Amino acid sequence: MTSATAAPRRGAREKRLASPTQRRGEAFFLLGPCVLYLVVFSIYPLVVSLIRSFEDYDTRKNSWRWIGTDNYSQLFSSSDFWSIVEHTLVFSVAGVFIQVTLGTALALFFNQRLRGSAIVRGLLILPMLITPVVVGLMWRALLNPEWGLVNWVFIKLGFHNIGWLSDPGTALRTLIMVDVWQWTPFVFVIVYARLQALPQDVFEASAVDGANWWRRTRYITLPLLLPAILFAAVFRGIDAFRTFDLVFGLTNGGPVQATSTLSYEAFQNGFKYQHYGYASAISYVMLIVAAIGVTVLFKVVNVRREDVS
Amino acid sequence: MTLRFAGRTISYVVLLLIAAVALAPFLVLLIISFKARIDVLEVPPTLHFDWSTISENYRIVMHDDGFITYIKNSLIVTFASTALALAIGVPAAYAFSRLEFRGRDNWASTILSFRFMPPVAVAIPIFLMIQYIGLTDSYLGLILPYIAFSLPLVVWIMIGFFDEIPREIDDAAMVDGCTRVGLLFRVMLPLVRPGILVSAIFGQIFIWNEFLVGLYIINSQDRGTIPIGASSLLTTESPVDWNIAAAVGILTVIPMLIFSLLVQRWIVRGITAGTVR
Repeated sequence: MTSATAAPRRGAREKRLASPTQRRGEAFFLLGPCVLYLVVFSIYPLVVSLIRSFEDYDTRKNSWRWIGTDNYSQLFSSSDFWSIVEHTLVFSVAGVFIQVTLGTALALFFNQRLRGSAIVRGLLILPMLITPVVVGLMWRALLNPEWGLVNWVFIKLGFHNIGWLSDPGTALRTLIMVDVWQWTPFVFVIVYARLQALPQDVFEASAVDGANWWRRTRYITLPLLLPAILFAAVFRGIDAFRTFDLVFGLTNGGPVQATSTLSYEAFQNGFKYQHYGYASAISYVMLIVAAIGVTVLFKVVNVRREDVS
Repeated sequence: MTLRFAGRTISYVVLLLIAAVALAPFLVLLIISFKARIDVLEVPPTLHFDWSTISENYRIVMHDDGFITYIKNSLIVTFASTALALAIGVPAAYAFSRLEFRGRDNWASTILSFRFMPPVAVAIPIFLMIQYIGLTDSYLGLILPYIAFSLPLVVWIMIGFFDEIPREIDDAAMVDGCTRVGLLFRVMLPLVRPGILVSAIFGQIFIWNEFLVGLYIINSQDRGTIPIGASSLLTTESPVDWNIAAAVGILTVIPMLIFSLLVQRWIVRGITAGTVR
């Protein structure tokens, strides 16, 4: 690359730099610590997790026993597991769909540059910075069946009292709603940034041609925003799929497992009941789904753009 | 003309609504944290506050519940983990941006993909590892895994920032006899300072809020970080003392609020790094 051809007459120092061993040395020096660190603290635990998913942990003897695929067959034959898979998928897909729709709408809305909108844009960032456990607390207070403000407003408006978190049929929707509250701004920030970066002349030209706002948005803006929207959707989708903290803070998986996600279920089995093997099997199922998601994500976004300079 | 005016008005109403939806939960929590235990039950809440109640609520949380310790622990753990993640991640990102080697892009993708690894998949092995080296209930026991968790994000963001710097600068420095490593430290680091800031911010947000792995590693009150401490206070007491729980919530939010006001611009840059540039 560059250094090899740069200046052949520069003398010994430059020559030494150009030698392949030297460059390999540089690569090791720069990359080595990072790779080594991830091997020890991410890859090794993942391998251990994989092995443990084929084992059974005995709490009393503090020992592991190989049981083959028993954890997995127990998992796949459990109706609880499948209903949790269903909740997790509904939560991720429905939640992200709403977030992407609202986030894009917000981006288009803020594009009209109202006075004071910069302040509101700033406020919008706050929800996604807050510890999800506290987000859960906040919404438990708002949705409290006895003195929560939301039900008070609903009754004033002539609706019935809603069991936001206590009704098994509603609780998952409530969880989605809170996730939407917290993460729509994330989609908004990405889509809005893309919108700001678009060349303005396209819009001016089409406005001159007499296309109305909706047609301009539908046929010009949205297609141009699509890469950003897709990226935000897949990114959020993977994150939603592994949601744990919000469930912990808002519903504890209840009522009767109605809002338990795979992460929460794996945590319960591992942390509470010390079924380490079973928990590892659940998390490996998740890992495979997440890996598929990541592959899709990297198809959507180019990790390293070539020759930006 | 009137139609235009009506449109503007509607836009401003919508803008206010957006602000209200984003802020209302925080305000409600703030109001509850100012109330005595009994007064939490009135709907709608009155805006009648009593300074002694407020100070009493927050005193209980800060001192009796040891929230001050949690803040201190969070600061130590977050600062140390972020600094170390940067020290390891920045040179790696530089290598991915500048060096040519076989399978480079695959390596980069692999490292970045750890950003999406479900923490629950590694929580147990990491816990057993940390237990094995005797670091449960210690700062280091949290810092070691947290570095690994924030590393992919640091690398991801930094690759983008390094890519923005023209290669001519590298060439010029190399011609002047600067080594690759010297080039990174003396020439590049000052140039990518915004990137370092952005990735530090994101590392901090992540570590500040990390919860699951922390729950495994920390058992004692005096090493808990804010999310761990808050969760132990919230799950045991929330149905009884909502005002105290709300004060816990507010104290968790305030550092993030200040932080977000200070670094808002950079947060937006970080979220968009890797997508739009």
